Amino acid sequence: MKTRFRGAAVLILLLAAPLGVSEDNTIVTHFTDDTGERMPLQTMVPVYPGRALADRIEGEVEVCFNVDREGRTSRIAVRRSSNRLFEKPAKLAIRGSTYAPLPQSEELSGIKTCRTFRFLLDPVAIEVPGEISVDVEP
Amino acid sequence: MKSSSDRGAYRACIVGCLCLLVTSALAQSNKTIIGPSNLHLHDGANALKSGDVEEGIRLTIIGLQQSASARDRQAGKSNLCAGYLMLGQLDTALAYCNEVLSENDQHWRAYSNRALIYVKLERFADAEEDLKKGEAISPNAKTLKAVRSMLLNETDPVSPTIVIDDRRSPPENSDED
Repeated sequence: MKTRFRGAAVLILLLAAPLGVSEDNTIVTHFTDDTGERMPLQTMVPVYPGRALADRIEGEVEVCFNVDREGRTSRIAVRRSSNRLFEKPAKLAIRGSTYAPLPQSEELSGIKTCRTFRFLLDPVAIEVPGEISVDVEP
Repeated sequence: MKSSSDRGAYRACIVGCLCLLVTSALAQSNKTIIGPSNLHLHDGANALKSGDVEEGIRLTIIGLQQSASARDRQAGKSNLCAGYLMLGQLDTALAYCNEVLSENDQHWRAYSNRALIYVKLERFADAEEDLKKGEAISPNAKTLKAVRSMLLNETDPVSPTIVIDDRRSPPENSDED
């Protein structure tokens, strides 16, 4: 299994683009590759649901949808999800995202495009200013 | 030997007694209370809810002087705890919450308020203990959930991260072993 993925990694031009930090201090990372039917143009980042944040819930949602010639998304449907809390923000994010328009020479394929959103919570290390760290010799 | 008229009177008496019992039970179950039992406590609670903390505290204190039932008294003191907490007077707030809980250890609102005081005083273990007790009494209380979240933010802060993955087959974690 590992070998297969290592092989795939050679073929796939993997673009792991950390988009940085959004307005609400959410860290965003976007993975894409050139095997997809359509290239993302504008990617809307979903909002981490407040309830999930409060209850420390992480999750994953895969959403599939159609992309028309102009790059607009439609027929958005959740393919799999670990928690319903994340489904609405994921669908809204897809609704607000666009893809690069298809050149006239290319034909529109009927294949659905899918995107997976992972909602994760990273522990924050807080440093108390002025705190002196003391090493005690045994 | 009882005559048939005596028997009839006896039967009528039993039926009458049963009717009286049912009527009295119905009267008890259908007791109608119009309006709050303590107007000052009621208005004080509403003032606190709307953010008029000083007025809320003033009305609640008046209401407490007039309150007759233990339930009203506990509600009033719990609201005073919340009010002083909103004013940032944590010691006074704590004293009121303690009073409520010494009278009634099943008062989840007082546990919730006291847990919040403990969070603010950075007595996190005490806050945890009160939250557990409150959650055991009222597992779905929104305020308890909010305080739980505030406690977690203090003891276990997290930063939300969102990964958007457009890859067809995202590689699994391939830890070399």
